[in-house]
Amino acid sequence: MKARNTVAGIFGLFLLLSSQGLMAASDNWRNLTPPEKDKVLQNYQRWEKLPPQDKEHLRDEWNRWQRLPKDERERIKQRYDRQRRDRRDDSR
Amino acid sequence: MKQRAPLQSACKSFEEDLVLYYYGETDEVEQRRVQQHLSQCVSCQGFLDDLRRWLPQIAKSEPMAPAFWDDYYRETVTKLARQEERKHWWRALLAPRPMWMVPAFGTVGVAILVVGLLFGKGNLSSFIQRPAERIPQEILADENQLQFFESMDLLESLGKLEKQDDPSTDSTSSQSIRVRMQQDIV
Repeated sequence: MKARNTVAGIFGLFLLLSSQGLMAASDNWRNLTPPEKDKVLQNYQRWEKLPPQDKEHLRDEWNRWQRLPKDERERIKQRYDRQRRDRRDDSR
Repeated sequence: MKQRAPLQSACKSFEEDLVLYYYGETDEVEQRRVQQHLSQCVSCQGFLDDLRRWLPQIAKSEPMAPAFWDDYYRETVTKLARQEERKHWWRALLAPRPMWMVPAFGTVGVAILVVGLLFGKGNLSSFIQRPAERIPQEILADENQLQFFESMDLLESLGKLEKQDDPSTDSTSSQSIRVRMQQDIV
């Protein structure tokens, strides 16, 4: 009887924890806007097809990006957005 | 306190018969035999008198109203049932159940919890129509990974962007301005 209750308790806890993980995943995803979701999806699909050395290079760049000072990151981001906008305008 | 006088002693062979005689539980022959003895024996008469005096007082019960006896049985049964129910309600909860019921109810409970939380946030459409099914859960669960894929385009040109730190070297921008000016002229 005691063993049965323990097994049931562990099983219940496992289900609860796995549902929490699922919730966290869906929360992160839901917090993105639709264009952001599209971008993530496209980039993920592109990432899957990249050769390993390119993947590694991008990972290194990501680590470097995260280590950059915040103001520099913002400046680069603004420049990137501006260039992208310009490119879009030029293509019209 | 007034002390009660003990019963008068009767003849040993008639003591039991006298008690039965008092309660009227002797047959006719016995009754006649006791009555005949009583007419001759003073101590047995005294014993019978004592029985008549004391026994009604010992067995005396409080008279109850007839209405009390009308519902007596029904009320007693109801009270006993109520008491039984109060005593054992928790036992019903802990009563052994079939083995399959524990995980089944657990799964149903968790499913209800998850669906309730998802639907409760009022974001059902984004939950149902999600292209995220093509992205592994470990990436969706990790905010850092999501940010990585979101800024992958930027990372690819990070080196170039850093080199353009000086605004005057922003060739793309100046080029686009030039193109726009030409369009305006045309």
